[in-house]
Amino acid sequence: MTPNWKLSLTRAAIFVLILGVVLLPIYWMVAASFKSNAEITQDATLYPHVWTFDNYIRLFSEKEFANYLVNSLVATVVSVVLALIAGSLGAYAIARFHLKYRLERKIGLSLLTLRIVPPVVILIPVYLLMLSLKLLDTWLGLIITYTAFNITFCVWMMESFFREIPVDLEEAAMVDGDSRFTAFRRIALPLAAPGLAATAIFAVIVTFNEFLFALALTATPRAMTMPRGTATLIGRIDTDWASMSAAGVLGALPIVVFALLVQRHLVRGLTMGAVK
Amino acid sequence: MTDVVKRGTTMRRRERLQGAGMDLALPYLLLAPAVLIVLAVLVYPLWDGLRASLMFYRYGKPLDFVGLDNYIQLWTDPQFLNSLWVTVRFVFFSVALETILGLALALFCLREFYGIRILRTILIIPMVITPVVVAIVFRLIYASDAGMLTAFSEAMGGGQVQILGDPLKAFTGLVVLDVWEWTPLMFLILLAGLQSLPQEPFEAARVDGAGPWRTFVDHTLPMLRPVLAIAIVLRTIDAFGTFDQVFVLTRGGPGEATRLLPILGYEMAFKFQQTGYAAALFVTIGLIILAFALFAVRMLKRAGPDT
Repeated sequence: MTPNWKLSLTRAAIFVLILGVVLLPIYWMVAASFKSNAEITQDATLYPHVWTFDNYIRLFSEKEFANYLVNSLVATVVSVVLALIAGSLGAYAIARFHLKYRLERKIGLSLLTLRIVPPVVILIPVYLLMLSLKLLDTWLGLIITYTAFNITFCVWMMESFFREIPVDLEEAAMVDGDSRFTAFRRIALPLAAPGLAATAIFAVIVTFNEFLFALALTATPRAMTMPRGTATLIGRIDTDWASMSAAGVLGALPIVVFALLVQRHLVRGLTMGAVK
Repeated sequence: MTDVVKRGTTMRRRERLQGAGMDLALPYLLLAPAVLIVLAVLVYPLWDGLRASLMFYRYGKPLDFVGLDNYIQLWTDPQFLNSLWVTVRFVFFSVALETILGLALALFCLREFYGIRILRTILIIPMVITPVVVAIVFRLIYASDAGMLTAFSEAMGGGQVQILGDPLKAFTGLVVLDVWEWTPLMFLILLAGLQSLPQEPFEAARVDGAGPWRTFVDHTLPMLRPVLAIAIVLRTIDAFGTFDQVFVLTRGGPGEATRLLPILGYEMAFKFQQTGYAAALFVTIGLIILAFALFAVRMLKRAGPDT
């Protein structure tokens, strides 16, 4: 009996250790966001001695945090919806049709290759493109960019989901008189709904968190997204730890809450389909 | 043989599905929006970046076509070579640590135990939290006056802890950040890989009296290799493009200690306005990653047909 008991104890110890390593850094930031700067620098403890909400109030009254949040939501939601529409249509064509010269396969592979190249590679030309289109510092500029990034991902994910649906169902629908497109809309699309959800969820997280292109393409609170605004703010207030902590908490809160709510669907997207 | 027959049937089936008339144009119509947007926003910029990398820019305006001069200059530029070396070290240490820790964690969680669901939930947080905020979290750990490390050190009677002012410590600090953020991803992939392994070899090994270490080396590791390879490749490619965390944590400093290639490229382009030179740098990053990906795909294909 004794060795078994020892094993459980080791297990529990490792478990607590992991929880601590993951949560303590985050907790430290959250705690700091409720402290005053004087307390943070002079007598940093695990919990605030004097609770204050000033840091948050300041962010919303002086800084343009509400703007950042709206900009982020608009850019994320619009670009993910557009990419889902264009992406699932394309993915369906790749999964179900045979085109001349195996065109559908070539397109699928090209999109995957584009997906592998990190976006940073086209930072300058995209910036120049938006400059010439006069779309710098606008919602539209961000939306166009993010839609394109999301499309490669949506096609890649949705294609595998469509392939999992048996063709027989659509054939049966067509025998019953559906057109090719109606069969897609009435049969394949509803069956791929869980896939659509998984794809959307992951795209939302990546897009909401995107920083590099927001940094290059936006310059004022008119279009700055949450990560962009947060980074600018902490660039200006180098040692204002209290504001920095509050900005960090606010910057991460929406997406962490969202991710925890939908975590069931998250894993496949995170691993680019390597894990189902 | 059966494979060929099966593929023949699906192809005939697909053709039958394609129908006639308007339906013949359908796949092209379905593909058009995605392909057009990608061509305009991803492919054209790639081409444009390639073109810009062959030009000499001043004050953001292209002046001359200079051929490969930017690339030649790049590969003799100590700043670039240093950045490349920093990036390679960063990627190597981060991915190696993440793989080892992720695998250990996955093996630990393989047997169901009370609390595993809590653990999986908690481990999602580092991956989904905004990278900019991850950097803030770590600044609040490393700060010499207000940091968590200093607080712990002082509580135990020590003095202030300096991390971000020292080149080696700052670099290590960045690796620690990346390991904190991405070990959970390795864990998730490897856990799924472990769970999908067949059970028979393990039972046989147990019957033969093999210990846990032998079983791991002889059975687990070889069978897990394809999944392990995919996880390492995905993570390596991703780590090569790391930008946000460094930008907020250290801006590449102190000195050049944490200046990864994307940071250098960003500064070249937007701080020093050397557009052509920066474009050459980004094209070079892209080529390095593509070469690595092609090499990895080759290795995976050789490893086995079912990967």
